[in-house]
Amino acid sequence: MKSVVTTVVTAADAAGRFPSQNDLEAVQGNIQRATARLEAAEKLALGMDAVVKEAGDACFKKYPYLKQAGEAGSNQTKVDKCYRDLGHYMRLINYCLVVGGTGPLDEWGIAGAREVYRTLNLPTAAYVEALTYTRDRACSPRDMSPQALNELKSYLDYAINSLS
Amino acid sequence: MLDAFSRAVVSADSKNAAIGGNGLAALRAYVAEGNKRLDAVNAISSNASCIVSDAVTGMICENTGLIQAGGNCYPNRRMAACLRDGEIVLRYISYALLAGDSSVLDDRCLNGLKETYIALGVPLQSAARAVAIMKASSTAHINETNTSGTNPDETRFRKMETIKGDCSALVAEAASYFDRVASALA
Repeated sequence: MKSVVTTVVTAADAAGRFPSQNDLEAVQGNIQRATARLEAAEKLALGMDAVVKEAGDACFKKYPYLKQAGEAGSNQTKVDKCYRDLGHYMRLINYCLVVGGTGPLDEWGIAGAREVYRTLNLPTAAYVEALTYTRDRACSPRDMSPQALNELKSYLDYAINSLS
Repeated sequence: MLDAFSRAVVSADSKNAAIGGNGLAALRAYVAEGNKRLDAVNAISSNASCIVSDAVTGMICENTGLIQAGGNCYPNRRMAACLRDGEIVLRYISYALLAGDSSVLDDRCLNGLKETYIALGVPLQSAARAVAIMKASSTAHINETNTSGTNPDETRFRKMETIKGDCSALVAEAASYFDRVASALA
């Protein structure tokens, strides 16, 4: 799992040296930002159900055709799966906030997603709308501190860019 | 390879749950003690060659047969291999201490180590003894409790610039990684 610490250790191991001052400084930088990241992760976990519901509602509001026969949300089972998938993305973003890197999203969310969506004939624009809505809906200080919000939005943007 | 953070993520993923309140408490502790952890890693890496050569010397002093003809440290070539292995083990322990998780030590160092040593005829007891001495001196360096040993007038031994006992929480964690090596060799 890629994170700042594992990247540093992998590089040091490849060179066969003990952790150098540079390595320790890199980890120190990661630790300094960790408080904001963990705050964002905590707040996101707390509001997870509401966030997922609002994001899914926004996506079906913008693309109502998705619920027509033959489309990706043509029955309740399919609609439920859309919300479930959004829950997956939010959970992976929660993990990214904890790790302090894009590793969880890369390995469990993005790798192969394009191929899967194409095979299942799912529109990525709908996911983009849901994640964009979440990004623009989150605000400070109502939801979390500005620094934490910044961390959260950067991972939402990362997911949006990977889908668009 | 995992660190304290990605370990939490992997275990949460197996439960299909986001990481909230309780799961974050341990990670907040890692962050709060972050600088002490870096000091502890620095204490090991700055004194690595001293820790390793002390441990191998001690191991041989207790069992001088190792450097007599037929001993496992007998020609310089094998002594050098022994010092090298000591440094490798200590290096992976420093990585594990930095990451706050033993997976890098397990995967890249201990996996198959015992079998390799058996195949090469390396005495496991002596190796474990060297690791035990490395544990004693590393924890003393981390905790600033190292002394000159038998010579009370010797003042030239290395002191780190941290506060004595400040890193005591990390001592227990570092000791657990040394114990892990010892049990892998047992």
